[in-house]
Amino acid sequence: MLREYRFAWWGMLAWFIVLEALLVGAILFWPSFEENIDALRDMAPMDSLKGMIDQLEVGGVIAYVNGQHFFKGCNTVGTLAAVVFAMNVVAGEAQRGTLEILLARPMSRRRVLTERWIAGALATIVPVFVSTHSIPWLMSYIDEDMAHWPLFLSAVHQSLLLLMLYALTFALSCAGSRPLVIGFGMLLFMLAEFSIYLVQTLTHWSLFRLTDIDAFAYIGATHSLEWTKVLPMTLAVVVLFELSQRLYARR
Amino acid sequence: MATKLHRCHDERRRLLRVNATQHSSTLSAIHAKGVVRRFGDKVAVAGMDLDVGPGITGLLGPNGSGKSTFLRCLYGVTRPDAGEIVVGGARLVGDGVAVRLQAAYAPGEIALYGELRADEHLQWFLRGRESNAWQRALEYAQRLELPLHKRVRTYSHGMKRQLMLCAALAPQVPVRILDEPTEGLDPSKRGAVLQLLQEDAARGTAILLSSHHLGEVDRVCARLVFVQTGRIIANETAATVRERAARLVRLCFAATVAEDSVKQTLQSLGGATLSSMVVEDQLRVSAQVAGEPREWLARALALPALPAPTTIEHGRLSLAELYRELYGVEGC
Repeated sequence: MLREYRFAWWGMLAWFIVLEALLVGAILFWPSFEENIDALRDMAPMDSLKGMIDQLEVGGVIAYVNGQHFFKGCNTVGTLAAVVFAMNVVAGEAQRGTLEILLARPMSRRRVLTERWIAGALATIVPVFVSTHSIPWLMSYIDEDMAHWPLFLSAVHQSLLLLMLYALTFALSCAGSRPLVIGFGMLLFMLAEFSIYLVQTLTHWSLFRLTDIDAFAYIGATHSLEWTKVLPMTLAVVVLFELSQRLYARR
Repeated sequence: MATKLHRCHDERRRLLRVNATQHSSTLSAIHAKGVVRRFGDKVAVAGMDLDVGPGITGLLGPNGSGKSTFLRCLYGVTRPDAGEIVVGGARLVGDGVAVRLQAAYAPGEIALYGELRADEHLQWFLRGRESNAWQRALEYAQRLELPLHKRVRTYSHGMKRQLMLCAALAPQVPVRILDEPTEGLDPSKRGAVLQLLQEDAARGTAILLSSHHLGEVDRVCARLVFVQTGRIIANETAATVRERAARLVRLCFAATVAEDSVKQTLQSLGGATLSSMVVEDQLRVSAQVAGEPREWLARALALPALPAPTTIEHGRLSLAELYRELYGVEGC
């Protein structure tokens, strides 16, 4: 296997295992969650969290699974995975001094970077699709059911947010030479975004508004993507990809 | 049969690439004109012009003289700020992929992926090259006795250098650009590597290598280009340089001898360009003789006003000494 894809392959496997383990735990916990939902609401320290529990109670198991898998699992571990897959791509090579041999091969810079971008992007989103596909099967263990199509659309929606974060980290990596600084910077940024999400007066500024329970409730109800969110996210991915190419071309 | 077909295919692809990027006005394997590269305020390459033909050309100069940056610019790894570069008929435009298809490069700084096995690393290096480059790389590695099954992190500095050289020698390209290819090698390996380069050059490849070891390039280079502070200060055939070395005479005197008086006496003879310096309690006077050096020396020694020299050197001055005498810079 080519060196470029080895890290992506093993990273993708690790990220899938973590995501699937979180999903299994969350789904099997549903009966207990449903039973203790009032007590959980009382324990919630903030109004925004109480509101989330209210939404789960109304939405039932589907809202719960969407919330656990997409809003919690994918948005936390997925963000970490997206940052880890992207931060080393160019900055890591510059730091270890291998950028020169990377550039010295008889291939265009655009091709080299596109290949790396795709490898990392696939490593980021394939686990989301695969684990999402396992939800109906896991639900059968708690005598519940979920349709595949809205789950697939939800995975598309969630993947776009992760791709956006991946593309942003990737662009920073193309401009910098200190991957750890880029990685920690991105994680701090995401923490700040999540903090904003929890503040009711600021929540609409948070990136996590794009993939919260409301977003997946819309997909579940309409069986279609919410284009007002999907199109800007897609555009952001394309723009950041092109920005990465330009930054890399200047090195 | 299959191998033959493969070769035909590779050759056809190579010709197509050449034709697609041919630069008809330049016949040199490497043509560089007015190449400039700055890093902030520092000018690393200050307008270099160079034409290189088949054979081995040595780019010589002290550390920090701009050799490596110039080589990187030629190969398209570093973008020049100004100038025109054509390598193997391909003009350096865009990200330089056309140039990289016509040339092979071994960088001066060794930074490899330690986690890969050496054979995996060779494969990685050769991605994008013709299919039989891999076979040739294995042959070179065998000649240099490299253990390809080992991880690169277990390799010594010299072994890593040789691995990169195998990757640079394997592709069938008209030009090779090698940045200090023998740095860090023991004398026997250095000899083996120089032998490989000579064999490659004999097949018509143009090799431009950099070094600050004048002694070793003296052995293999047909042309010598001397670089200082980002500029080419001399570009001569090795034969010319050797001839010039043969016409250099050095006379050493006790430090108590008056420098001006000795120079004036020798100048009265004519037929030589003189330079002098005091080194280690000795006055060294070097004469670049225009005619026959032994005859000039005999006439000089017959001068009654000339003090008796402590040492006379002629015909065994190294290139390093020659460049020190000619250009006042340290070669190695």
